[in-house]
Amino acid sequence: MSNAKVAFVLNAHLPFVRHPEYPRFLEEDWLFESISESYLPLLRMLNRLKDEGVTFKLTISFSPSLMAMLTDNALQNRFVHYLQQHIELGQKEVQRCKEQQPKFLEMARHYLDGYILNLHEYEDLYRMNILEGFKSLEQSGHVELITTAATHAYLPLYEEYPQAINAQIELGVQSFLTTFGHPPKGFWLPECGYYPGLEEQLKYHGIKWFQVASQSMLLSPDNVTYGGYRPVRCPNGVAAFPRDYQATSLVWSNSAGYPTDNVYREFYRDIGYDLDMEYIRPYIHEPEVRVFTGYKYWAITGDTDQKVPYNRGEALKRVKEHATNFHYMVNNKNHRLRDTMDTDPLFFLGFDAELFGHWWYEGIDWLEEVIRTSSDRTELVTPSSFLAEDTTALQTVRPAFSSWGQGGYSAAWLDGSNTEYYRHIHKAITRMEELAVRFPDQASLKQRFLNQAAREVLLAMASDWPFIIYSRSSVDYAKKRIEGHLKNINLVYDDMCKNAVDTEWLVKAEKRHTIFGDIDYNIFNPDRN
Amino acid sequence: MILINIESLSDNELQHIAQMEGLKDWNTLQRDDLISALEDWFEEMDEGGVPETNGQVNYGRYTNSLTNHRGKAVHFKDLPRTGELPPSYYDSTIHLLLRDPQWAYAYWSLPETIQGNKTSFDDEDHSGESYLLRLHQYELASGIETVSDIAVEVKDQEWNIHLPAMGCSYQVELCRINADGSEDVIARSAKVETYLPYWADRIEELAMDNDLFLLHFSSLVTKTGEVAENVVLKDLALTVSKGVLS
Repeated sequence: MSNAKVAFVLNAHLPFVRHPEYPRFLEEDWLFESISESYLPLLRMLNRLKDEGVTFKLTISFSPSLMAMLTDNALQNRFVHYLQQHIELGQKEVQRCKEQQPKFLEMARHYLDGYILNLHEYEDLYRMNILEGFKSLEQSGHVELITTAATHAYLPLYEEYPQAINAQIELGVQSFLTTFGHPPKGFWLPECGYYPGLEEQLKYHGIKWFQVASQSMLLSPDNVTYGGYRPVRCPNGVAAFPRDYQATSLVWSNSAGYPTDNVYREFYRDIGYDLDMEYIRPYIHEPEVRVFTGYKYWAITGDTDQKVPYNRGEALKRVKEHATNFHYMVNNKNHRLRDTMDTDPLFFLGFDAELFGHWWYEGIDWLEEVIRTSSDRTELVTPSSFLAEDTTALQTVRPAFSSWGQGGYSAAWLDGSNTEYYRHIHKAITRMEELAVRFPDQASLKQRFLNQAAREVLLAMASDWPFIIYSRSSVDYAKKRIEGHLKNINLVYDDMCKNAVDTEWLVKAEKRHTIFGDIDYNIFNPDRN
Repeated sequence: MILINIESLSDNELQHIAQMEGLKDWNTLQRDDLISALEDWFEEMDEGGVPETNGQVNYGRYTNSLTNHRGKAVHFKDLPRTGELPPSYYDSTIHLLLRDPQWAYAYWSLPETIQGNKTSFDDEDHSGESYLLRLHQYELASGIETVSDIAVEVKDQEWNIHLPAMGCSYQVELCRINADGSEDVIARSAKVETYLPYWADRIEELAMDNDLFLLHFSSLVTKTGEVAENVVLKDLALTVSKGVLS
């Protein structure tokens, strides 16, 4: 009996947030927290395993908007400052805990050591570009790197606009090629958002495989022989990997997933909110806006405000138990499936990368333990290695329209709270197409003006803004961003219709939204292809 | 969820919305109480609260939303000369977006001359006109077409449309009924398609065969018996498990 084949795929994505016009900007912390708590610790863990000779395979998707931020000089320098501030706070915390709360001293030191190590590795090892670290892991054969849509647009809501879909895919592939030196084989569908026919554009850009939501197989109009336990081929030959909802839910469930265990660290209790304003003021945002600092000392404990102190040793013991449980669950299922199937099943698990380390503090420890203990229990594969090595022909079927969002379709991105924006985004796309047709192959200022409009269209399409509005998290910021991009497109459209270029606006817009530096607005010209 | 002209929705549609939003007692409330509960619900949501539910709406930990840092901090400024977004682009278009296989969202624009903003070029008297959305439903297998009309007002610009069946393509037209009873099609949407799942009319086979159930359904159920959230899937789950899974 062969071991269960498991493909872990992490989607590393954040919306493009960059505000150099302010000395410090709240939402830039999304990036800094993710680098500090997820991406750098993940790199550290993977390199540790590689150096020890542990065999593993993992797939990571980097979104073009994240790649742009990770290689942006201004944000890189700000991240160094972020780490320096957190080190300074950690040093104060060690002193404070010694004097006032010795029960937290071990964790204060643990966090401080982590920030110091992060700074050292970020500056000295990766020269402020962590993508180089992942590239190295890809070259050594441990990681498959892939990408996603340019600004992580939720594609089913743009089905009527093939030129915009093409722009999202083409720029995604181009950004990846520029960063990693080769085209991606796989493509992470943002939010697992799939509509029948999307594979045609993916194939056009050389994509060999993508992932879909679990239910896209059961709800297919075809009889899918192996249900959600094998990839399939779309009618045009591109492979689709169904995400295993059951196996993924072992981790990613906010009611029963491993991260909800009471011994794990409580995300929401942070000294940024708990300590006196006088003490914490230098490390939060002006004017006295409390934020998460990363210094968190309490365990989840249960549904109570009376939390117990976090015990790192106990948490790591639980990590081992949860890793063992994971192997047991997938192998148990594997054995049952092998009695039914005449070929190997595949368990495809897709997560947001930021779940590990940032949201679930012990997540990277768990992943490391799963990898370390997989050799005699579970075979880790990448979708590309599976396709290359598996000898059974894939069935050709039509996956069903689906997403991994609430309700399984487009409800989260087409909710009463965010529907109002689609008339504007769709209009922006048609206006951009119109401009590309009316003013093809411009040079100099007009070219820059139109290129900036193309950037603004793509940024307005990001799936993050409607989702944030829907989930009622940073609603004001999301609305401001989406409206800002749409207003910018309207300005370019109005000016171009008058044969004018607003240079003041252009210079400011280019400075603010630096993403896709080599974009060519002609990508929106439907006559071009 | 947008509730436009809530009174015009059928009892089934109201119950469906209430169920999706996680309202308690969605299946036992009388029509008037259901409308009242939904209105209260959306009022509370508009005020930024998260009303109590029976657990179907998750705003809990480990979701993939980004941390809300903003609080009362000041926002960034728009670039110069950008103005405001227009309420409409005043062209004759209608778009249909598939929300799920049972509901679609339609939005449309009317020329400024119609939409209550008469210009000096428009001295026409529009009294006596009315508007409707005409939903064309084409069965993919048989090609049979069914047409249904939804009355809308000139001020409306969007509508949530219930799609009666899967395995159909849908198209919506925005129509004007003139004072003399004649009709003009002002705009026509692109078609959207919904596919009938292979298992939809073979669900008993799944229910009776353990191997089929294992292959096709088990990956969609958590270890605690929760089915992946999906309106179509839940209907199948109820049937295949004879009410055990929900």
